[in-house]
Amino acid sequence: MWEKEYLEKISKAKLEWEEKFKNSKERDGKFETDSEIPIKRLYTPLDVKGDYLDKVNFPGRAPYTRGIYPTMYRGRVWTMRLFSGHGTPEETNKRWKFLYDNGETGFSAAVDALTFNGIDPTNPDGSPEVGTSGVPLYCIDSLFALTEDIPIDKISVALVVEPFTSAPVCSMYFNMAKMRGYDIKNLVGTTQNDILTMTVGYIPYKNVAPNHLLRLACDFIEWTVAMKNVPKWHPINFTGYNYREGGIDAVQELGFVFASACSHIDNLIERGWKVDDFVGRLAFHLAAHKDFFEEIAKFRAARRIWYKLMTDRYESKDERNHGFRFHIQTAGSSLTAQTPLVNIIRTAIQGLEATIGGCQSLHTNSYDEAICLPSEEAALIALRTQQVLSDETRITNTVDPLAGSYYVEWLTDEIEERVWKYIEKIEKVGNIAKALSTGFLYKEMRDAFHRRQARIEKGEEIMLGVNKYAVPYDEVTDVFRTNKEAVKIEQERIRKLKERRDNAKLERILDDLRKVCEKEENVMPVIMEATKEGATVGEICDIYREIWGIWDPPLAI
Amino acid sequence: MADGKIRVLMSKPGIDGHWRGGIVISRALRDAGMELIFGGFQNVEQCVESAIQEDVDVIGLSIHSGAHFAYVKRLLDLIEEKGLTDQFMLLVGGVIPARDFSELKKMGVANVYGPGTMTKDVVEFIKENIKK
Repeated sequence: MWEKEYLEKISKAKLEWEEKFKNSKERDGKFETDSEIPIKRLYTPLDVKGDYLDKVNFPGRAPYTRGIYPTMYRGRVWTMRLFSGHGTPEETNKRWKFLYDNGETGFSAAVDALTFNGIDPTNPDGSPEVGTSGVPLYCIDSLFALTEDIPIDKISVALVVEPFTSAPVCSMYFNMAKMRGYDIKNLVGTTQNDILTMTVGYIPYKNVAPNHLLRLACDFIEWTVAMKNVPKWHPINFTGYNYREGGIDAVQELGFVFASACSHIDNLIERGWKVDDFVGRLAFHLAAHKDFFEEIAKFRAARRIWYKLMTDRYESKDERNHGFRFHIQTAGSSLTAQTPLVNIIRTAIQGLEATIGGCQSLHTNSYDEAICLPSEEAALIALRTQQVLSDETRITNTVDPLAGSYYVEWLTDEIEERVWKYIEKIEKVGNIAKALSTGFLYKEMRDAFHRRQARIEKGEEIMLGVNKYAVPYDEVTDVFRTNKEAVKIEQERIRKLKERRDNAKLERILDDLRKVCEKEENVMPVIMEATKEGATVGEICDIYREIWGIWDPPLAI
Repeated sequence: MADGKIRVLMSKPGIDGHWRGGIVISRALRDAGMELIFGGFQNVEQCVESAIQEDVDVIGLSIHSGAHFAYVKRLLDLIEEKGLTDQFMLLVGGVIPARDFSELKKMGVANVYGPGTMTKDVVEFIKENIKK
């Protein structure tokens, strides 16, 4: 970015500087990023390669390194969207309204393990977990209760369910919206629908094989966006966050999401769609982790990589489709159960990374994250943390304020280069379903688990309160407990629904679903009918299991 | 067992899929010379059956769902029903509030490991309490 002559001058001066201070001592230990990228003492113009207009350019202009909109937060600040759900849909509705009244600008439904895995509350295998790790959404009535008195035409809702249950749960949401008189063509929101979350992020309980999950995810993208049934919806949110939390690094996180995104795009192209028919609605969900500059560089690199994939690989013609839109969650795994108030500081710094990095939407963790679901007080502090960033710090005054930092520009390039190599490594195994079924991604995760644990145990990765200034895990923190009656309430909800619905009619629709599954056609139209008639998530998933079989993931120890 | 190795079953009761903790501890126990049987998802019947068949000394439950009391109670009831009380050392790990530790221990859990556990502490505890 500088004249050659000037760079030579800097280079000479730098050598002199190095010579003069060659005896200055540095601390012992490694200077490297969280992704183990070695870091120099100093970065200068010598480290920044390439042309400004080609590589960085203006926000809203290719390759979007500086941001996907020309005004960024001067136009509108990010959406404050706390991932939230517990007990019952009614209790979650209450929490949502509390957060909304305190300035939250988007909702995100954290569902329980039964909703994730398509298990009804009457099944004893999962019944103790009703509402313990999220909101139970087992039937259409739950969606009515969840959104009661909430203006879902004005505020976007993220439904955090994965391909195994995205069709049943989201069809319930769409049917509920229709019954409440909304035109679903105008609905705004997001379905996570991320194949990797419930395969390697968490292990699936009695789900189906990855090739079916990939097809289910693509059925949903096809039906909502490509076929324009819910054209403003974000039908998928590639959620690097969930596997990053396991211990993979920033480079792998982007590698996983881009390899996965390409597999979905390829599937839809094989179905006969053009990339611009759907790709503009694909979205991403990344982590803001512990390494401040590396994370900011990661967000900048991600925008550039996505632009290149869209134009070089997929030859997308519509420039509105080239922007990398992403939600951020601060890093739950960086938080400690020991001295939990320190978590407020950690989260604030990670929130700063996300917003300097130009996220579209942000979840900040509650300080009790390492111990339980968020209490109301902890959730409010998490929301206020974002509001301190948006309303008090004035970071929103200008776009991409770290651009031009020799270090950040160099690190952005470095991460980009490493991500391309890692995408290639995954794609050598095959598409994302194959990378799962062969066990490749499980081994990557397993290695990441052990690497991170070893780093913590050796003190190479510091966690205050755990491996430095360690304190006992004590009983001081208040523990938020989910409703013990939730299982009875949800069993009763299902019982009443089954009494009310036309079971003979539903049986016929479910038989149609069996045929659709056997033929591997798009499941959405028939599931829209089924959930409207009162089918539960468990009933639909049981048909998937019956036709396609249960998949046992190739876990590695 | 003839080779004198301590035998451990690592089991995930319920349906919650948080798997890092169970894997990290499993590897650490194996690296410490124990025989590790990774049960994965198991309901309590499957867990007890594996424990008997594999003749384990220790059952480790990995629970991150908040439903630890329910699953521990189910397991201990079944163990008692089968007349196997004190046959296995029961350890529980996961996202478990510190204030639940004493109650779990009263129920019959030998030790509980929360967030921030160092694997060597688990290894030491088992080795100190099971002599082979």
